[in-house]
Amino acid sequence: MSDEKQQVSRRQFLNYTLTGVGGFMAAGLLISPIRMAIDPVLKESSAGDMANVGLSVDDITAEPQRIDWTIDQVDGWYESEVNRAAWVYRNENDEIVAFSPVCKHLGCVVSWEGSDQHPNEYFCPCHDGRYYKDGTNVPGTPPLAPLDEYEQEVRDGMLFLGEPKPRGEA
Amino acid sequence: MKWRKADLQTYFQSKEYIDSIVVPLVPFGIANDEESEKAAIQAEMITLLSHELEKELTGRMLLAPHYSYLKSIDKQTEVARLNRWSAEMKEQPFKHIFHLTFDPSWKKHEQELESTLLWIPAVQTGELNSKEMHKTVREQVAQMVELIRAYW
Repeated sequence: MSDEKQQVSRRQFLNYTLTGVGGFMAAGLLISPIRMAIDPVLKESSAGDMANVGLSVDDITAEPQRIDWTIDQVDGWYESEVNRAAWVYRNENDEIVAFSPVCKHLGCVVSWEGSDQHPNEYFCPCHDGRYYKDGTNVPGTPPLAPLDEYEQEVRDGMLFLGEPKPRGEA
Repeated sequence: MKWRKADLQTYFQSKEYIDSIVVPLVPFGIANDEESEKAAIQAEMITLLSHELEKELTGRMLLAPHYSYLKSIDKQTEVARLNRWSAEMKEQPFKHIFHLTFDPSWKKHEQELESTLLWIPAVQTGELNSKEMHKTVREQVAQMVELIRAYW
C-alpha cells in the first residue's frame, strides 16, 4: 500500500517535468506582452508630472518667495534638464498659491517687489509691467492677462508643482 | 528672444518693444594649447551666461549669434568690422547694442566702439555644471540685468 503510494511512474514523472518546464516557458513568453498591455496603468500610478520642488509647506509664508527647481523634459529624442521657477506664498484664505514668473507680455521674468517704486507688486524689468499680489495684471501696464498659476499638490508636507496654467483654468 | 525662427516671428510682431540686442564676443585661436583651452571655457561660459540673461529679459532683447574673431588678429580691424555690425543693427532700429565679453583686450578700444561694451571678469571655479556654478551664474546674471536696466 505504502509502496504503491510513493511510486511515481516514468510517465507521471515526465508529465510533471514537462508541465513545469512548459509553464515556465509560457510565462517567460507572456510576461513581456502582458507588461506592455498594462503599461499605461503602471505609468499613471507613478509620480505623474508633478515635481517635488524641495519646499516644505511650513516654510511658505504670506510673503512671496522664489523657488527654483529642474525637471527632465523630453523633446523629440532630445532629453534635457529644464530650469523652472515659481513665486510661492500663502493668500488670505491660507491657500498656497504658486505663480509662474513669466510675464504675460513678452515673456520676461518678473520678480516680487522688483522695483522700489512699486512695493507689494510683481514687477517686470523689461517694460515695467506690474501685477498685484494675487497675480492680476495692473491696468495700464503692458501685460494683458494675469500671471499663470502652477498646478499644485501637497504630499507628505512637501510642495509638488506641475504645469503652469492660465488663470481660470487652474 | 533667441536667433531662431519661432522667436524671430514674435520679434517681427513686437519690434517696438524689443529695442536691445546682445552680441557675445568670442575669441578663437588654436595655436597655443593652453590659450585655446582658456578660450573654449570662456566660450562655454559666455553661452551659458547669455542664455540665462536672455531668459530673464526675453521680452526686450534679442540674443545674436556669437561674434567670433581670431585672437591673434589686430583689434583695429575687428573694431571696424564690429562697428559695421552695429550700423546694420541700428537700422532695425535697435536702440541699445550690448557686446558681452570676457576678453579684456576690447576694453582698450571701448571708445571706438559704437555700442556698449559689457566686459565681465571671468570666474573659473570648478565644474561648469556644479551647483555652486549655477548659483554664481544666477548671481552674475542678476547683476547684469541691473546693469542693462541702467542703460534703458
